[in-house]
Formats: sequence, structure tokens, C-alpha cells
Amino acid sequence: MIKDREKWLEHASQKIKVPQELIAKAFKDEIDGTPAMDAPLEIPDIMDITYKYSYGGISRFFRELRDNRRLYGSKCTHCGKVWLPPRINCNECYAPTEWVELGETAEVVTYTVVYYGTSTFYDRVPYVCAFVKVEGADTLIMQNIFLKDIKMAKVGMKVKIQFKEQRNGDMGDFWYVPADGVYDNV
Amino acid sequence: MDKVAIVGFGTTPFRARWIEKTYYELAYDAAKLALEDAGIDRKEVGGVVYGIYNELFERQFMPDVYIHNYIGMGLKPSVRVATGGATGGAAVFVGWTWIASGLYDIVMVLGVEKATDNYNYAVGHSTPETLKAILFSGDMTFENPSGLTAAASYALPLIAHIDRYGSPTEKQMAMVAVKNHKNAMNNPNAQSPKLLSVDDVLGSKMITYPFKFYDNCLYSEGASAVVLASERVARSLSDNPAWITGVGLSLDKAFAGERDDITVFTSSLHAGRDAYRMASIKSPARELDFAELHDAFTGAEILSYEAFDLCGPGQGGRLIEDGVVEMTGALPVNPSGGLIGCGHAVGATGVMQTGEAALQVQGRAGKRQVKNARTGLVQSIGGPATAWTAALIVQRIEKTGAGTKKRIASGRRRKGP
Ligand SMILES: [Zn+2]
Repeated sequence: MIKDREKWLEHASQKIKVPQELIAKAFKDEIDGTPAMDAPLEIPDIMDITYKYSYGGISRFFRELRDNRRLYGSKCTHCGKVWLPPRINCNECYAPTEWVELGETAEVVTYTVVYYGTSTFYDRVPYVCAFVKVEGADTLIMQNIFLKDIKMAKVGMKVKIQFKEQRNGDMGDFWYVPADGVYDNV
Repeated sequence: MDKVAIVGFGTTPFRARWIEKTYYELAYDAAKLALEDAGIDRKEVGGVVYGIYNELFERQFMPDVYIHNYIGMGLKPSVRVATGGATGGAAVFVGWTWIASGLYDIVMVLGVEKATDNYNYAVGHSTPETLKAILFSGDMTFENPSGLTAAASYALPLIAHIDRYGSPTEKQMAMVAVKNHKNAMNNPNAQSPKLLSVDDVLGSKMITYPFKFYDNCLYSEGASAVVLASERVARSLSDNPAWITGVGLSLDKAFAGERDDITVFTSSLHAGRDAYRMASIKSPARELDFAELHDAFTGAEILSYEAFDLCGPGQGGRLIEDGVVEMTGALPVNPSGGLIGCGHAVGATGVMQTGEAALQVQGRAGKRQVKNARTGLVQSIGGPATAWTAALIVQRIEKTGAGTKKRIASGRRRKGP
């Protein structure tokens, strides 16, 4: 039994960045009850780490997205393969690549609809994750497709890129919508 | 190369939560059971290979360090394998090499996983936080931001496959769910033994299209261990050891969008071919007596039939419809219940399935025994869109001549070449 309930909740809340009432709910038995001395004891805990992460050689890809609303791939200087996600070298030729701008349209090669998401995406369901073949790229990229009706998703559907108004320099800066323009304005 | 046998197997039950045990306490239980089954003392073990997937599940990086001492293996060689869902099978693969190389006579492979100490306070449940811990395994720059889940990662190749072949149908997938939940009723260590109908599965809640609730395996906690031994030690410990006669391991391109054919489990195809070749298996559909496949999702089991040449491309759905893979069929798949029936205690899963295959070929599988099981296939899949596969062939080999009477079991490193 926890001795000073209020102080314990305050400490736990600060430690794991969760409101006190939710912690109180999860630890009701330990707070209010009298579990046996040998009963399993649970504690609130968190593992987190902050970053100032460098994109290294592919930094330009995210700068073009964020600052210029442009999607770039990278073309092998030896075999000509256009990579998306981009990379600064080709793993088939071991040769460097160069930046090439890609088209606005793409085709859905495969997709799925997520109805049960992770903690981060729990409130966003249902949403579509798809592999799309972007005009000008030789590989597929994973991206979200926004649809008015989730059941519209299908293999082979033509989509076009849409950029987010507030862009942050990550993959969340863009997504795809049906090329015929029927979509929710997100 | 030395021949490698499985001479001991021990597992804890797989459960939604082992609140009363930590990961190292679970590991201890599995190690103790496996040593007892092998009939050896911990001091006789030459080294330990650990299979542990996710640091965030365990709330501990390098968890193998803390297990090794806890189970009394201090100063013995040890290495940890972490290959996503394929961790257990890949750990057995590495343990196999330690013996086949002639370096050690006895190696323990120990897989363990927690998962549901993760907890989402807003939802009041573990699952969303467990899924979040897994999502750090997706490429953090290009795939994590899309909200991909493990189920979605399997659904993407599957939808492309369905688009091409019109199969597997949702009904065929439901039949796999019915089979594996039912098989688990014969396994006392299984988490989800259940008698379901196809309609129960089809009517269950949509999780990730096309997977409904019962198409998914559940996250589990548990530990499993096998004791591997060289031929000379194995013959001295057992009249009837299970032999690992073929192994294969393959890691496909990380971004599934770079692969040549997204509808194929290509790493399974490659690992399977290597394992078949080593075990001299030419016609797997005819020569295999059973398989323990990585049915994290029903559709994955069906696509695995195809990747392992049990049928042609696009024909996987027929194997379940024709009853071939049922317990009563010609090639029972997942007599243990698989991941859908037993649960998926990630690092432990492939070790458990290897141990189950050993029980089958030794005729020790109890109510889930496949009649005359002589040769079995074990598959472990992991990573983004089935990137990794470990494949093993487990066989009974009829004894030729009398084995040595003298018991040999020493943990010492063998003489170098
Ligand atoms: Zn190239």
C-alpha cells in the first residue's frame, strides 16, 4: 500500500509524463488496496531519449520537401536506376548517385488499411499505408493515401502528391490523394 | 561439419502476461526445463546463444548479459541474436554453427521475451504501446512516420498477392485461424486454444485489412530453450535425438519497395532452398511430414506454403481448403498451434517451434503428435515485410549400429583444428 498517495502520484506523473488521474486508475489496487507482500509489484516507468538527428548525405531530399515542395529521387551515375527512398550511392554498382526531381503522380502497387494503430497513431485510424510507384522512380516508397472513403483504396489506383501546409522536414510533409481529386482536404 | 542434434527442450507456457516473472526469471525456468530434459548439468553446457528481440519490451538493453549470470553460465561464451520475429529461429541457426564447426559439444539456445510490461495509460491497455515499441524496428526515417504496424507490414505483400492471384481468400485465411486455434487445444503451453468457426473469424473485428482479430497472433510473454549437441555427445545422451539436418538464413532488401516481386516471401524461398539442399530434400511436399511455420498472420502461413515449395505460386489457399495442412492431412502445418494458437513470445517463438519439431520426430508430442513424423520444417520470419527467414529441417534418423555406452557431456571447448 502506497503511503503518501498524492506525493507518489505527483512523482509518477512527472517521471512518465502521464496525467495523475490515468496513473491512479492503472494503479488502483496498489494505491487503495493491500496487496500481499509477495504479490507482483508494478511501477510506472518510461524510456525516452531526445535527438538532434542528422540526415547526412540525403539532407537535400528533406530540404527540398520542406522548403520547395519538391520530391527528389537519386539516380545512379552508373546504371541509371532512380532510387526512392533516395540514397547517395548505388548498392548494385557501388557508384555515386545524383539528385533528380520526380513527378507529382504515382500508382498504388499495394496497400493496407490500419484499423488498430500504435499509441502514436491510435487516434488516426483507419488510415491507408501503401507502396506507391512515383513517376520517374524505379523503386516503390511507403506513404499514406488520404481518401474520402477508406474503401476506395485499391491496387492500381492513380494518386498525386499533396504537401502539408506546415512542413517540418520529415516524411509527414507529404502524402498522396486520388489523382482525380476526390479526397478529404486534410 | 559435425552433425547437430537437439537433445533437450524446455518451455514456459506462453501467456498474455507473466506478471509474476521478469525476463531473466522466465529464462531461468526454460533453461532448467531444457537441462532436465537433456539430462545434463548447467556446467556441461559449452556456451549459450540468446534470442531476444526488443529492448523496449524488456526495459533493458543487452538483456542477455543479465540472463547469462542469472542462469549460472558466467564466463561461458555467449552471444545474442536479434532478428525481429525470426530471432528464435536465427538463434538456433547460430547455435547450430557453434556445434557444426566442431567448436563446442553442447550449446544451449535460449529465447525469451516480455511484451506487455509496455502500457498505454490513456487507452488502459498494453497493445498500442507494444505496437509502438515494435514500430521502432521499421525504418525510422522513411517508414515509421507512416504509422506502419507489424500486421500492415505483412498485409502489404499479401494484398499484392491477392490482387495477382485472387488468393488467399478471406475464407481460406479464416480456415487457417480455425485450424491453428484448434491445434493449440492439444498444447498445454498455448495461449489461445479455441474452437472457432470460419464465421467467428470472418465476423471478428477488423485489425489491419484484410486481417480480422482471429487472423492475428497475440503478443505473448514466455521463454523457450533447446539444448544442441554434437553427434558423439548426442548419441551418449539419447537413443533417439532429433537431428537438425538442414539450415538456411536469408535477409531480403529492407525496403520492400525495392524488391523484385513484392508478392513473394523471398527470404523464405531462399532460406528454404538452402535448408532443403543441405538436408537432401528434393520434393518437400512429399518428403516433409509436418511443418511449424511462422503464422504471425493467417495469410503469412498461406504465402509460406508457396515460398517453401509446398505448392505452386498462387496455390497456397488450396492446401488449407483441401485439408492437406490439417492434423488429419498429408502435411500438417503447425501441430503446436503455431503463433496464432500458442502466442508469439518473439525471441522464444522460433526456439519453441524448433523444440516442438524435435518432440514430433522423437514421438514425444503427446496429443498433438503427427503420426510417423520423421521430417519437419521450421520457419521463423522477422523484420519489415518478412525481410528475415530462418529455416531448419528437423529429422529422425534411424540408428545404425549401437551407440556408445559411455556418457560424454562436457562443456569444455573442443580441441582446435
Ligand atoms: Zn547503379
